Amino acid sequence: MSMSDANIALSAEMAARDNMITCRGVKKWFGDFQALTGVDLTVKDREVMVVLGPSGSGKSTLIRCINRLEVHQEGQIVVDGIELTNDLRNIDKIRSEVGMVFQQFNLFPHLTVLDNITLAPVWVRKKSKVEAEATAHELLERVGIPEQAAKYPGQLSGGQQQRVAIARSLAMEPKVMLFDEPTSALDPEMISEVLDVMKDLANGGMTMIVVTHEMGFAREVADRVVFMEAGNVVEINEPEAFFTNPVSDRTKLFLSQIL
Amino acid sequence: MTASTAPVTHSSQARPPIWRNTTILKWGVQIIVLALVIAAFTFLVSQAKTNLDQKGIPVDYDWINDPANIQLGEGIDTQPNSMGRALWSGMVNTLRIAGVGILVATIIGVFVGLARLSHNWLAQKVASIYVETLRNIPVLVQILLWFAILTSLGDLTQDSGVLNDFVFLSQKGISIPRVFFADGFYQWLFLLLVFGVGIHFVRKRLQRKQDLEGGDKHIGLISFGLWVLAAAIAWPANPIMSWVGSIFDAIADVWGSIPETLMQLILTAIAVGAAVIWIRRFLESRRTPAGLAKLTDDDWFRMIFAGIAALIAALFIWILWPGLSSWIINSGRDFFEFLGNKFGGERGSLPLDAMKPTLSEGRFVNYGPTGLTMSVFFASLFFGLVFYTSSFIAEIVRGGVLAVPPGQSEAAAAVGLSRMQSLRKVVLPQAFRVIMPPLGNQYLNLTKNTSLAIAVGYSDVVQVGQSLYNKNNQTLAVFGIWMTFFLACSLTTSLVVNIINRRLEIVER
Repeated sequence: MSMSDANIALSAEMAARDNMITCRGVKKWFGDFQALTGVDLTVKDREVMVVLGPSGSGKSTLIRCINRLEVHQEGQIVVDGIELTNDLRNIDKIRSEVGMVFQQFNLFPHLTVLDNITLAPVWVRKKSKVEAEATAHELLERVGIPEQAAKYPGQLSGGQQQRVAIARSLAMEPKVMLFDEPTSALDPEMISEVLDVMKDLANGGMTMIVVTHEMGFAREVADRVVFMEAGNVVEINEPEAFFTNPVSDRTKLFLSQIL
Repeated sequence: MTASTAPVTHSSQARPPIWRNTTILKWGVQIIVLALVIAAFTFLVSQAKTNLDQKGIPVDYDWINDPANIQLGEGIDTQPNSMGRALWSGMVNTLRIAGVGILVATIIGVFVGLARLSHNWLAQKVASIYVETLRNIPVLVQILLWFAILTSLGDLTQDSGVLNDFVFLSQKGISIPRVFFADGFYQWLFLLLVFGVGIHFVRKRLQRKQDLEGGDKHIGLISFGLWVLAAAIAWPANPIMSWVGSIFDAIADVWGSIPETLMQLILTAIAVGAAVIWIRRFLESRRTPAGLAKLTDDDWFRMIFAGIAALIAALFIWILWPGLSSWIINSGRDFFEFLGNKFGGERGSLPLDAMKPTLSEGRFVNYGPTGLTMSVFFASLFFGLVFYTSSFIAEIVRGGVLAVPPGQSEAAAAVGLSRMQSLRKVVLPQAFRVIMPPLGNQYLNLTKNTSLAIAVGYSDVVQVGQSLYNKNNQTLAVFGIWMTFFLACSLTTSLVVNIINRRLEIVER
């Protein structure tokens, strides 16, 4: 299967949409270790892409490169028409358009939930505090925890913290949301409350790249599923085809181990 | 076998016997331990006193007012007329070097610590070498090294000035130009305070506007501009404020005419009032939505002790130290007279003035309009302490920043905060929490290490005290003063650090 065609496995309707994220030959080394070995990938506007793969396959590194938490050394990453280069202006622009949700939530523990959410809108977008707080309350309503606004992150459960983290990202009105194993640090009974919020987001037309091990979520919500191995994309397909009829042997092995 | 229907007493209702009651045991043990400590201390002190009296070495503090007959190298009073005054001069010298030392060591330490974390290779290496060198050499060696370097400088002559005589370097010390408070300063300060109130309101208005409408209203820039403007307007205008002095004079008159009994009554009222307010607040904190909760034995003990504390205070005011109220009256009057003198009169000159170092007969002129001079004694102790302590502070700052998980700055970057914003709003507030307690320790260390002054002959409280007990053999009494002084310094520092710590605490549950 050739990876040169980055728009592989797209429906005609999806193919007609604009490219939101384009990666071409992205390579990344940590010292001697090559984490990405030339990734080609295109994410369309309003597409939900789920990235699967064994640990160490470069899934997290890839999405961390997309908002420049890691710097790729070769290749090209273009987000919404802006290329990610050394230009600080481009980096700032992309970061304020790309939201990110981390495995460990990374909420600011010294700020209340409300302040966590309003910090960036007030300081980066220069919104008024009143407006930012109104938006924050709306977002908390949307993720289902309106009553927790005055609490500190340490007072919330893991699932609640992760939902605050999602609200914090949404407050910047991003065009793309990146999820880096958002449910891996959660107790089992809290996973669904976070996944429900993510499903709502997907249904609302958000462009999303989700690194996860939740196969149910991938099957139900993803437009396409990507399988990565050893720093590169091995297989891209629509979820039904991916799970029922994988092409590559590596994918088959992976699926047989986890399903 | 009878079917017993006797009601089971609910365990929480029953009062256990005293020897099993944890509350009474807890308080009882504390009271007994306190009493034992006080008794042991009193016993030891009285024994020491009797023994020393028998040997003909009385311990008392009557010598405080004796003539000192010593000369201090520098300080507020170099020819003190009493031993008490000499010790006070020494204390001020200690506080001076500790205060300035803490400030400068903190600035250097923060700077070096952040430099060690920077991605700039050169800054990082220089900072690492700084830290590793300075913290591995004993502070006494460093002080002596500075002393050797500074005393090997040339004689003080007109030629030892550099940069057009702005800076003098010689074995008599280092002198640089100084900005000092001239006669008009206090009136200028008062005018500035008046303007400051206005600026505060402008600031608040702008802040509210920014909160409502968004955008950047340049609050910091505008208020800075207003301060500069106010300072400039008040610069020549300060003589119009000379009437403020008469207000302070009037307050001094009123304060000085308070009868002693009235002051005692006022102090008693304050003590009793404090206890009453404390008890009321305490009861308030025990109030639940369903009304006042049932008070435990522990609660009763606390309230009783608040009352006893007020009683002890009253006892102190009326019987143990009756001079307290007249001392408060006198020093209060002196204070307001001092303010009246500073603010009032014909002090219509400029608020600030500056002067280059001046020389007279091969010495620096130290008083009046002249430069800021560091004697070699001060300078060697100061450089030694500051550089040594700053290397530790640098490591504390570095550790504090590293203690903030990298995920925090990643999250800040991911929501679009710039590096400066992320540092200011996310990383430093959390690092500060880690930095504060060990930083307080370094401040205490620096303050205590000032006693190494004795190695270079700087007139700090230890050196002065030693010269005094060499004269009058009141060794224990002087030790008592030293210990009280350093304890007071350390406790004040700890108190400030603890207050800051409490304000920085992160709510966990």
